[in-house]
Amino acid sequence: MFDFTVAGHVVPVLLLVLTGFTVGIVGGFIGVGGGYMVTPALIVFGFPGYMASGTDACHIAGKAVISSIRHRQLGNIDWTIALSMVGGTMLGVELGVRLLNYTKAIGLSGVVLLAASVCVMLGLFIYTQLETQKSHKKLEEDRKAGKEIGREMKVSKVPLYFQRIPIMPIIKAKKARLVISMWVIVIVGVATGILAGFLGVGGGFIRVPALVYVVGTTSHLAVGTDLVEIVVSGGYGALRQSMSGNVDFMAVFFMIIGAMIGAQFGSLATSFVRGPAIRYILSYSLVLATTGAAMRLVYVLTGGTIEWLAFVAVVFTLGEMIFLCLFIVSLVWFSLRHQHGKTVPEWVPPLVVST
Amino acid sequence: MKWFINNMFGYWILLLAISCGFSAIVYQYFLRDLMK
Repeated sequence: MFDFTVAGHVVPVLLLVLTGFTVGIVGGFIGVGGGYMVTPALIVFGFPGYMASGTDACHIAGKAVISSIRHRQLGNIDWTIALSMVGGTMLGVELGVRLLNYTKAIGLSGVVLLAASVCVMLGLFIYTQLETQKSHKKLEEDRKAGKEIGREMKVSKVPLYFQRIPIMPIIKAKKARLVISMWVIVIVGVATGILAGFLGVGGGFIRVPALVYVVGTTSHLAVGTDLVEIVVSGGYGALRQSMSGNVDFMAVFFMIIGAMIGAQFGSLATSFVRGPAIRYILSYSLVLATTGAAMRLVYVLTGGTIEWLAFVAVVFTLGEMIFLCLFIVSLVWFSLRHQHGKTVPEWVPPLVVST
Repeated sequence: MKWFINNMFGYWILLLAISCGFSAIVYQYFLRDLMK
């Protein structure tokens, strides 16, 4: 089996291609670059923290371009919001990379990145889980009341509060059908940019919920618009991480090979499902990635004395990636069966497009 | 077995168990020695 060495650690090529492929499918499907899974996963597989962050930033930029093209064809991008956010995103990424380089200088990049990943993902999981439950409940109520169920639905009233903020300039996003202060969008860009630069991620795992629950776009538009932003944050992040010596380009190359194939399928799969299914996958991927990262964090914090924990962390991290791919593939399969009038499990119809 | 298919949580558990089992085999027999 082919393998090569990254900062003193042997890394099998198969593992990198598999990681890129699975994260490509998941990223293309839920509109996040998938980077929040990659950085902890690479640390679990033995990469130093700063190298995991830099390698991740480089690989997601290329993959986001592929996914963005697909989502543009599907009409899932609001260019007004996307272009308004670019400046804020780049400023945030710069601040995040500087923070990462500081942790690298004091030799704590691995632990800090794992701890930060666990905290951010856990918080986000709890929030998206609550929102998903709420939207699923409303969907069931609409079905029982005999109302027509569209592809998308809005349940949160929080965006209305942000849309009423009267600070100029106010922009009109035609595709998303909303009017909002540009500063709200810029601040969302800065906040997500800091996380993107520090964790080496595209920032989509926080930007997609922010676009839905703060700006007020639909899930599908949030997915496409976010991918444009990932091209920017990933591209600028990759440049800054390379300048800081945080990137292994061989690892990036093999991950992009897998990710290019996966992203195509993941983007296509979004047209078979409704918004709640995307949120389910986002929630699942968050909690699973958190579990793997938390196990590795405990292993590191205990001084590497609990050997089995390192084994379980690697197995679980690999397993969660395969699980997410299987789940998305099976949703598409169930959707096709449903469209052809064949039997599907009871929990499937509210999640898939029937026509 | 039907419960694992007809219940979303059950389906979730089944897929995760299959995935983790598969990854354990791959890691133990193909990757672990390589990564030491």
